[in-house]
Amino acid sequence: MKLKSHPLLFAARLFTVLALLAAPLAAMPSDGGTASLKSVDQDVQALKQQLIDLNRDLFKLEEELLYPASTQVAVFLSVDVGTFFALDSVTLKVDDKEVANYLYTDREVQALHRGGVQKLYLGNLKAGSHEIVAFFTGKGPHERDYRRGTTLKVDKTVGAKYVELRISDREASLQPEFVVRQWE
Amino acid sequence: MVAAVAVAAGVPASAAPPALNSIAPDFALKAVDGHNVRLSEYRGEPVVVHFWAGWCGPCRESVAALDALGLRSGTPVLGVNLDGADRSAAVADSLHLKMPTLVDAQQSVARSYDVAKLPLTLLLDAEGRVRASWSGVAADFAELTPQLERLRQD
Repeated sequence: MKLKSHPLLFAARLFTVLALLAAPLAAMPSDGGTASLKSVDQDVQALKQQLIDLNRDLFKLEEELLYPASTQVAVFLSVDVGTFFALDSVTLKVDDKEVANYLYTDREVQALHRGGVQKLYLGNLKAGSHEIVAFFTGKGPHERDYRRGTTLKVDKTVGAKYVELRISDREASLQPEFVVRQWE
Repeated sequence: MVAAVAVAAGVPASAAPPALNSIAPDFALKAVDGHNVRLSEYRGEPVVVHFWAGWCGPCRESVAALDALGLRSGTPVLGVNLDGADRSAAVADSLHLKMPTLVDAQQSVARSYDVAKLPLTLLLDAEGRVRASWSGVAADFAELTPQLERLRQD
């Protein structure tokens, strides 16, 4: 594990720092100098940064514990241009079991169009061969209801597996294209 | 009017809506106008969430009153309708509702909120915390309006 220190120890340290900070604050005279106020402000800013770091470490720890690399599978979704397809929802199945069903608001679709990548699913799979199926619904060319499925056979090995679902435009046929890519 | 209407089977009698000050579960549903609505996108302002069905008399009265409140105050009011995909639009249309009517055809959101009685009205603050709720009765506007006003000023 690549954590700098155990999160509980880190939290305890933070608590100590907070307690130490609180003491001078309580004892500070009402006409406390600007210099000491500046110092307290700097300490508070440093604490904020430590809290952000702690939060990140805890997040990483949680992910490492719940989704170890040996079994981890993550599915991401991105949209490239998307002129021919207005995304409404995505349903994701792994080995015929529905694992995600996501409904997109206008704001989320705009975020994807601006280059955002959504983590659609994070889970665990045993090593071996698996089937991932994604169903996209939305409005296709000429405002027609559009539903399209795409299937990917993945061979899960010991490392984490990342799958990217990308919706792009096929200019030649004026149709949307659903591309699936695997990353190790 | 005090009228408690039990929702469809499958919800235990002891079920209770989200507790006061707890974060209301997020959800995304399709509105009858075809747009998708996600509750968490309303963070930053108070919002009223109202679970209702067309077959529930008190629901119809309260949803119309909440719609008017939303228009008057500018507060988002989200109506989660449990009638089913086919009927929701017709019921909302017959009541001339302006607020988003969201279709919870599978009652999955109703289950996540433990809706045991209709109507269920929740007042959420800008952080998505439940600040007041009315279950099985129409929302009390004498309580709701001043609370909403306070939340809007915070």
